[in-house]
Amino acid sequence: MDDYSIGVLTNIGLFSFLALSAYLLLIAGEMSFGQQAFFGVGAYTGGMLTAVFGVPLPLAALAAMVSGALAAVLVGFPTLRLRGLYFAMATLAAAEMARILFELLRFQRQIGGELVGPDGTQGFRGIRWVFERGVEPLEYMALIYALLVAVLVLFLWVERSRLGTTLRSIGADPELAASLGIDVNRLKLGVAATAGALAALGGVLFAHHNTYIEPRNFDIMLGVHSLAYALIGGLGTALGPLLGVVLDLGALEGSRWFGSARMIVFGGLVAVLLVFRPRGLLDERAVHWIRSRAFRKS
Amino acid sequence: MLADLVQNTLDGLTAGAAYALLAVGFTLIFGVLHRVNLSYGAAIMFGVYFATWTSLHFEVGLLVLALLTVAGAVLAGAYVERLCFAPHYAAREQPRTGVSSASIAAMVASFALWMQFEEAAILALPKHLYAFPPIYEGGPLQLGPFLLRVESLYLLAAAITVCALLHTILYRTRFGLAVRAVIDVPVAAQLVGINVSSVFVRIFALASAIGGLAGFLIAASHEQVTPMLGMWATIKGMLAMMLGGLGSLPGAVAGGLLLGLVEAHSQWYFGPQMRDLIAYLLIFALLALRPAWMTRWTTTRSAS
Repeated sequence: MDDYSIGVLTNIGLFSFLALSAYLLLIAGEMSFGQQAFFGVGAYTGGMLTAVFGVPLPLAALAAMVSGALAAVLVGFPTLRLRGLYFAMATLAAAEMARILFELLRFQRQIGGELVGPDGTQGFRGIRWVFERGVEPLEYMALIYALLVAVLVLFLWVERSRLGTTLRSIGADPELAASLGIDVNRLKLGVAATAGALAALGGVLFAHHNTYIEPRNFDIMLGVHSLAYALIGGLGTALGPLLGVVLDLGALEGSRWFGSARMIVFGGLVAVLLVFRPRGLLDERAVHWIRSRAFRKS
Repeated sequence: MLADLVQNTLDGLTAGAAYALLAVGFTLIFGVLHRVNLSYGAAIMFGVYFATWTSLHFEVGLLVLALLTVAGAVLAGAYVERLCFAPHYAAREQPRTGVSSASIAAMVASFALWMQFEEAAILALPKHLYAFPPIYEGGPLQLGPFLLRVESLYLLAAAITVCALLHTILYRTRFGLAVRAVIDVPVAAQLVGINVSSVFVRIFALASAIGGLAGFLIAASHEQVTPMLGMWATIKGMLAMMLGGLGSLPGAVAGGLLLGLVEAHSQWYFGPQMRDLIAYLLIFALLALRPAWMTRWTTTRSAS
């Protein structure tokens, strides 16, 4: 495989974590404009731990996920009781605050003759743990996809379980769910924490792939993109968000059919698609149809 | 010390007047449709670029330029409404909590069109920055030791005029009556023969026209345009709308002025990054601690 394809595929894998994070909240009935912040928290935490403090990547990734979950609880605890769009606005404000805090974050140390660590708006250079250990791009891509498959298996298993049904029920009608004895607030906080950890995992992998991150990477555009990925791909199955990422990054970045007007074509296609399929390509109905077909044959 | 305070207040009101005008258009759409139109700022940017492109190719006066900006923004707004919002009206009934998938779909679709507008603008005018003719040639007004930009007076006057006009439309015309009926109970409005969909289109056109006016005045007082105007207008309009308590027009003006004041003072004392941080913190704290402040205009609605 050439470097270009590896680059595109790696990016697809990385942003799938973020799309899955947005998807998890969407099926529980919450729209977050702020998942990019936890992606950023993961990237900064993981990057600092490996580059500045010399912690091995697996440990740093775990720590990043924990901090992503904590940050999500911190944001979610006071805001999850807000309704619909108000929650979306609160997460947007929180995420922009996080981005500005990244801009204010300066913590550099002399390592091997050069300054390493976050330097405010100048960004954070030298996250080279993966690079220094001679991991080939192809191997790193394989690592990303292995983790992604593990997460997906977990998702698909949860969605078939009682917990998955419960999650969709609080998404459909939280008051009805609460009347059936479901602790909606606790469950939503758990969902927010899991989604935060998932985004942070994507972030730490992103930081070590790029070796350089800056606060601008984690702006509101990334958050809206992750929502769009989840919605375009479909809210019926965890494979939906992946399809969304593949469609955007694969078909759009990977091809140059439309030249410089490709955002015009793609933007129009997305709007028209949502007219006909407001819950995405792989929505609940499509998933049900596919599943019933598959099981009739076997 | 005191002189700085006064000067910062004047600067804050200047920026705040622009935010107020942006917030009024944003609030109109949110208050009536309960939808967030992410491409609101992009449609304004499209209008401004339309006017800029014309001014580069033809000799036109300021008034024509203003009309072209408004026309471009209304055209873009109508396109957004037809493609992103009209198809999702049928499923307007929202669950009691949480967001309806139709409102997410409308929002994501409006985001897709934002990308379209941005690319169209860059294709038409590929440089990063273009000059925009100034609305006022002279220097700032001297008020004793203080300076006040004349442009900000234009913006403030426009915000006040627009609000007065909107108030007249909403409370003195048949169309306004229909709008208020739709805001209160859409189903009942439909039952008494109001064409809800047509009310939505006209509200969108009205909001886009206000946005276009705001865009023209902002571009003319900055004397330059960049494609970033779209994102800037959407975010500032949304923040001012939130500060004012979503869904209230006087609130939108107050929210815009408040945002301008908070930004000007915090920038003076703490620098540009803290300026944004404080504005977001204010909104986050309001939402988290005083959600009733944000929802006070919408909770009077019956739970339709």
